[in-house]
Amino acid sequence: MSLSINTACKLRSARATLLSALFFSVAFGASAQELHLRVPSNAVAGQAASIATTGSGSATFYLNGPSISLKRDVQLGQNIDMTAKEMQSAGRYIAVICTSACSGSEFFVAPEKPASLTFIVHPSRAPVGVSDVISGVAMPIDQYRNLVLAPATVQFQLTSKGSAPASHSVQSRDGIAWFRASSGKSAGPLRVSASLNDLSALRVVQQVASDPCNLRIKGQRTAKGILVETEPVRDCSGNPVPDGTIVTFTAKNGHDVSFVDAPVKQDVARAALLVSGPVVVSAASGVATGNELRIGGKE
Amino acid sequence: MRCWNLTRVARNISRSVLLSVLFSCALFAADNSLNVTLDASKSNPRVVEPLTQRAIIRDYKFAWGNINSALASNSNAPLNGLFAGSANDSLKGIVDGQRQSGVTSRYLNQSHELDAVFYSPAGDVIELHDTAEYDFEIRDGGKAIHSEHAIVHYVVLMTPAADRWIIRQLQAVPQF
Repeated sequence: MSLSINTACKLRSARATLLSALFFSVAFGASAQELHLRVPSNAVAGQAASIATTGSGSATFYLNGPSISLKRDVQLGQNIDMTAKEMQSAGRYIAVICTSACSGSEFFVAPEKPASLTFIVHPSRAPVGVSDVISGVAMPIDQYRNLVLAPATVQFQLTSKGSAPASHSVQSRDGIAWFRASSGKSAGPLRVSASLNDLSALRVVQQVASDPCNLRIKGQRTAKGILVETEPVRDCSGNPVPDGTIVTFTAKNGHDVSFVDAPVKQDVARAALLVSGPVVVSAASGVATGNELRIGGKE
Repeated sequence: MRCWNLTRVARNISRSVLLSVLFSCALFAADNSLNVTLDASKSNPRVVEPLTQRAIIRDYKFAWGNINSALASNSNAPLNGLFAGSANDSLKGIVDGQRQSGVTSRYLNQSHELDAVFYSPAGDVIELHDTAEYDFEIRDGGKAIHSEHAIVHYVVLMTPAADRWIIRQLQAVPQF
């Protein structure tokens, strides 16, 4: 094991030496040929740029960038023009020019001004009255899909029916601005927008009722058993809970206990309990429990 | 005597073959060494869970290994499923350009120091700052036209997919 590690280390060292030698030979060769590149110092994405060269004669030019690799024949002593399309991606570029030897130089291209906002909002449905349940992330993007890293002020606005709009102004950092907010008191759509100068993006969060609160039930004996139903089931803010919310009815007759789960349909949950004799019926949904109903006796 | 000589020749050939195999394996391992570390202590506003940290390291390492494979072989296949959006299009743009011009490139001896600088409250996007160090080589045909030991800063956006984290933005910057 140690032998193989030593072998690998030696080979790695030898390789590094070889690479260094190659680098220096390329650099030395380049200086011998007096190949020089003057690369752009403040290039911006989507804007044409040029690289100045020295010397004379023909050479081969290579450009390696974040989304491009090209090779072309050029004349030394003249500028090498790069089109706006070749410079669309922000990031690091390496320009290399070769005659009998090669010389390379790096330069950076910065993103252009924001052209759109990538805006992610979560969740798509949020229960009312919950703190910090809604969050959003906005990222300014230029027209070439580069992330704009320069600080910018993003305005977040939350608007829902029946309440005043809430605004947050956030300075983006490293290309990201974000917010976190509590849901409102009323069920319904919450419009969440992010804007930056004349750019804006809109998302909608559906605010839904929270857990049921204050269950009340009523019931009556039928020929086959007992029919029980809730009064309209609402959350603590008075919003009707969504259809499908489960209410569990429990019937106790001495030591006999039976359960029936029933979904809320149009605000009310109903169940038929196949029991005879006096029973005590109760209901529960989530953490809420309702009144006890005595049938066959006295409520 | 002749038999002994033949055995000795066979042994020498076997030894040479074995050494060649070991040498090429070691060279391959050296070329493909790739280290990724992640410091999530400054992530904001959400803490990066240990399991998520491990997944990000695993997927980021795999992604860079495949960037190297794609650019060394001029094939888009290694990029599939690891990148999305502009990162995906950009890398495919390099591969297509290299293929047209007969150029290949390689990232060797990679080391990536990641800092999580933003992790969204919902856990659906993470921004990393990668201080990458590698030997970068561009070859035209069999000839190396550029070779450098580079330290490059990348701003990275990753989002979770069904079973992995994928890179959506990979943007080099002069400094953080």
